[in-house]
Amino acid sequence: MKKPMFRLKHYLYGLAFLLIFLPQVAFAQDDAAPVGFLGSIEAGVQSVVDVLNLIFYFKIGGENGMPFIVLWLVIGAIFFTFRLKFINVRAFKHAIDVVRGKYDSEEDEGDVSHFQALAAALSGTVGIGNIAGVAIAIRLGGPGAAFWMTMAGFLGMSSKFAECTLGQKYRVIKPDGTVGGGPMYYLSRGLSAMGLAPVGKALAVIFAVFCAIGSLGIGNMFQANQAFAAVSNVLPFLNGLSWLFGIVLALIVGLVILGGIERIGAVAGVLVPAMAVIYALACFWVMLVKLPEVPGAIGTIIATAFNPEAVAGGAVGAIVIGFQRAAFSNEAGLGSAAIAHSAAKTDEPVREGIVALLEPFIDTMFICNLTAIVIVLTGVYADPTAADLNGAQLSAASFETVISWFPYVIAVAGFLFALSTMISWSYYGQQSWAYLFGDSTVNIYKGIFLFCVFVGAVVNLGPILDFSDIMALAMSLPNLLGCFLMSGLIARELNSYMSRLKSGEMLPEAQVAQEPLLRR
Amino acid sequence: MSWLNRKSVLIPIDFSDLSYQALGPAKELATDGSSLKLIHVLAPLHPADPAAMWDAISDDDRKDKVRAFTHKKLGELGYDDLPIQVVIGDTTSKIVDYAQEIDADLIVMPSHGRKGVSRFLIGSVAEQVVRLAHCPVLILK
Repeated sequence: MKKPMFRLKHYLYGLAFLLIFLPQVAFAQDDAAPVGFLGSIEAGVQSVVDVLNLIFYFKIGGENGMPFIVLWLVIGAIFFTFRLKFINVRAFKHAIDVVRGKYDSEEDEGDVSHFQALAAALSGTVGIGNIAGVAIAIRLGGPGAAFWMTMAGFLGMSSKFAECTLGQKYRVIKPDGTVGGGPMYYLSRGLSAMGLAPVGKALAVIFAVFCAIGSLGIGNMFQANQAFAAVSNVLPFLNGLSWLFGIVLALIVGLVILGGIERIGAVAGVLVPAMAVIYALACFWVMLVKLPEVPGAIGTIIATAFNPEAVAGGAVGAIVIGFQRAAFSNEAGLGSAAIAHSAAKTDEPVREGIVALLEPFIDTMFICNLTAIVIVLTGVYADPTAADLNGAQLSAASFETVISWFPYVIAVAGFLFALSTMISWSYYGQQSWAYLFGDSTVNIYKGIFLFCVFVGAVVNLGPILDFSDIMALAMSLPNLLGCFLMSGLIARELNSYMSRLKSGEMLPEAQVAQEPLLRR
Repeated sequence: MSWLNRKSVLIPIDFSDLSYQALGPAKELATDGSSLKLIHVLAPLHPADPAAMWDAISDDDRKDKVRAFTHKKLGELGYDDLPIQVVIGDTTSKIVDYAQEIDADLIVMPSHGRKGVSRFLIGSVAEQVVRLAHCPVLILK
């Protein structure tokens, strides 16, 4: 029995290898007809999507109703906002204080500071979705979808707080001092502490399966696909060479996650925030140039949110698209970010949860909104001659009307955003894989991940987006169910934290240090 | 060569409850306490692990912490302190390499509790060690 198993493992490696290099051979033989092999990959992705659609995406309330999984996410975000008494508003200032390091303590367990944990989580959330996803939302749901994205970002702050608080509370400090955390841990350990061990274990395994597969969509194929769209937009000779781009991108990601070439990761880590700043400044510039029209654009976004024209499913359609794209962008409710936030050095789980609620704010309410205003302001989305532009290319065309060279910045920023998001999500996926199959087999996951980078670059946006959406949303099923069950505990922890914060028991570290001096 | 009085016995340990099982039998098979050696193999940190991203914990820190943890844990379990080799890399090959390096004449380890799909896909570390080790391997059930 044992030998065949071993052969199977080698076979899987071999298969992955073959699949990566096959297209090269195919193209060498016949440059003119790129449809065959890539076409069959696309058909494969499409048939997976069809099955997933049946399971998760059935609509409640008829043809124009709300897909179950989106409704689930909306209910989760609203529930936690009310259950935790608008934590997204009342803890906002405290969140900024904590990120600034006022409460950092070297003695607490964990690996990194609050700021560092937030930055690590943000490198996964701020992806090419912030440029491309918003354009997709507006293309499908009209400008009003951007309003619902903002709303989803606002409410999502509360679900993000809930999941990251749990992530901290039930993390595991391993013998080597590193942290294991995330939904796998809080679902199994947290629910087991409530006497629901079998439920917890089952949800943890379901989450890990969804996250390992989901990481291949939202954090991989979608990113690769839109990175190619952004880059080929300014380098037209790449059109028709998506397979080459896919192989190069897979090689770069492979160097980082397999080869341990951490430099590339570190460089992306420095350049990404810089790019985010440049991107935001450009958005402000466009707004400044078109200042008189800004109120009108915001008015359009709000008015069409409630009364969208020509949107399939009317206002409900716009809400669905807005919430879906927002969750896709800021990961609130999906549970993934809790994996990164667990590493923060603190002995107060609630504190890292409060830091985490800044994530949807920065990602969705700030960056996505800037993109949305630029797209609506420039009006390119409504131009009939640009009707075939979508995603990153629509965003680029919008900026181009004001800053002619900006598509190049979008290409570079998009590429880096995509790269850092892929690296972060390969971590989330790998942690889930390791939870299921152990640390010693993660190279199999990495092989699959790299193959998907290639697939993402060569396949059309449609099936990639469907697959990525459904798998990402599916993660919210086990995650939010667990969070609902533990919501009483989250509320108690929060109340205790807030009352200790108010009583002054938890003075910021700087003040503690000054105290004896003040008394002298 | 008799099964008893082994001069150099290697015990791979992953700190799961199961992995301590091997300590008892290994002790019985060894000439004395000084013939026993432990090894723990750490997985390399993923570059996107916040700790790696911010360079917050070095490989040496990780190894030191594992040594300290082992020392404490052995004490709690009532065993004498044992030397532990902590390395970073692929579990199976590191165990096999170290066994060769110290010229181990026996490796004692529990078979890992993998079941179902996972077992089918990848088998266990114990299986791989059996196949690749140059010396006898005792697998506990």
